[in-house]
Amino acid sequence: MVTPGADLAPLVATDRLTVDYGEGPALRDVTLTVPGGVMGAVVGPNGAGKSTLLKSVLGLLTPRSGRALLLGDSPHRTRHRVGYVPQRSSVDWDFPADAQTVVTMGLYRGLGPFRRPGRRERERAMQALETVGMGHLAKRQIGRLSGGQQQRVFLARALVQDPELYLLDEPLAGVDAASEAAIIAVLRSERERGKTVLAVHHDLVSLGDYFDWVALVNVTLRAQGPTATTLSEEALADTYGGRVVLAARPDRPGVREEAAVAT
Amino acid sequence: MPLELDPTVVTVAAGAVLLGLTSGALGTFAVLRRQSLLGDVMSHAALPGVVGGYLVAGTRTLPAMLAGALVTGLAAAALAWTLHRRLRVKSEAALGAALGLGFALGVVLLSYVQRQPGAGSAGLETFLFGQAAATLRSDLVVLMVVAALCLGAVTIFFGELELATFDPTYARARGHSVELYDAALTGLLAVAVVIGLQLVGVVLMSALVVAPAVAARQFARSLRGMFWLAGGTGAACALTGALVSAASPGLATGPVVVLVASVVAGLALLVGPERGRSAEA
Repeated sequence: MVTPGADLAPLVATDRLTVDYGEGPALRDVTLTVPGGVMGAVVGPNGAGKSTLLKSVLGLLTPRSGRALLLGDSPHRTRHRVGYVPQRSSVDWDFPADAQTVVTMGLYRGLGPFRRPGRRERERAMQALETVGMGHLAKRQIGRLSGGQQQRVFLARALVQDPELYLLDEPLAGVDAASEAAIIAVLRSERERGKTVLAVHHDLVSLGDYFDWVALVNVTLRAQGPTATTLSEEALADTYGGRVVLAARPDRPGVREEAAVAT
Repeated sequence: MPLELDPTVVTVAAGAVLLGLTSGALGTFAVLRRQSLLGDVMSHAALPGVVGGYLVAGTRTLPAMLAGALVTGLAAAALAWTLHRRLRVKSEAALGAALGLGFALGVVLLSYVQRQPGAGSAGLETFLFGQAAATLRSDLVVLMVVAALCLGAVTIFFGELELATFDPTYARARGHSVELYDAALTGLLAVAVVIGLQLVGVVLMSALVVAPAVAARQFARSLRGMFWLAGGTGAACALTGALVSAASPGLATGPVVVLVASVVAGLALLVGPERGRSAEA
């Protein structure tokens, strides 16, 4: 097992990053360093700028000041090598395509114009679907899949790229238990293969179980580091405005409600 | 049967098939990208361009009028975009303003031209509701070239267009030039609208773009399938409308085409297996 942050160059780094949508900063002065080889989470209340952080790192948003580095270079040069999983709600699933077609889209970039995805691409997509436990649903229309299954299709589309870094925006939001287990199992196995994972996450209860590295964000970066040492009551209270009392203990009943109030 | 012999009817039918095929197929992207209203804006705002093209060319020349229509149609789209994005006008209000302005300008220009002496100006008003009989043999070449260019461009870049339509954020993150494909698809929508103006008219043209795609969505299981099914549906509706209207002198073609297309779309919504009522079960 890889020790989080051990001797690996940061795959994601930001330097005093400030992003502004025109109504006050969404992110302010964020200096983040995500070590290679971690299973990392970005955590914070709603509207804290978690998705904004991910999109800035990918160069999808232009920062007002500061900069982001992705795989050690400008995001515009490196982002195509990242396995990006956007929020499931960001697309209209009422689109005429089956699961396998959407996964194959992860390979379009290598094809270029004129060439249609062939047998090799379809087979790789099929393998990725089997990895996320959806081989039997490859021909199902995406609009007829459950939310969790749609999320697994998105994960498979990133898997098929075989990237060294995964950036996932709320991969477990609105997902059934079986899909959650499947997604976490796949991400863990990717991490075991030396890949790095960074996911926006909203459930403080499962945070410690799933992720070994965490960044706490609420417009500014409140804390970052290994989950075990970073996730203190003080850090959480600072991030959520003092409304969470040790939410990261799954053994305590009623904690999920507290976490829900906070977000 | 006069249909088999009359070269005018053959020309009209061939023109209708080409227009319906192109507009219907390209309408796939308009419907999936929720740009149906934008198509309506472009078709209404095409009217000043049609008249302007006529004024510049001096006679009723299809390429000049289509080019003019393309210019003013896209200008109206740009106006709506500016109102919405830069001046924060709500999107449907911005689209409505651009549509109204473009169409009003067109009607004023049209009335002005019709008061001028000269034989050629007669018949420009057929661009309001369309007239199948106005299709000339020389127009067919223009229509064929435009249709081949549009459908060819989409076929070549099909994968990129599919990805940019389904998930633009992911496409951008993967380094695809989404802005370029957005612009290209808006341009193709303008072409889809403009190419059918002579047959269907500016007022109802967007229905020929939208209705076949809506019908095709009910049966298609892939974007490629929806694209060609919408094209075929558009061709069939346009052909039916053109033949009915050609057989009844004085009957404008556009309303007939749109009535046929609406019935087809309505039936598809009722019986189509992929979405709608039967898909709920």
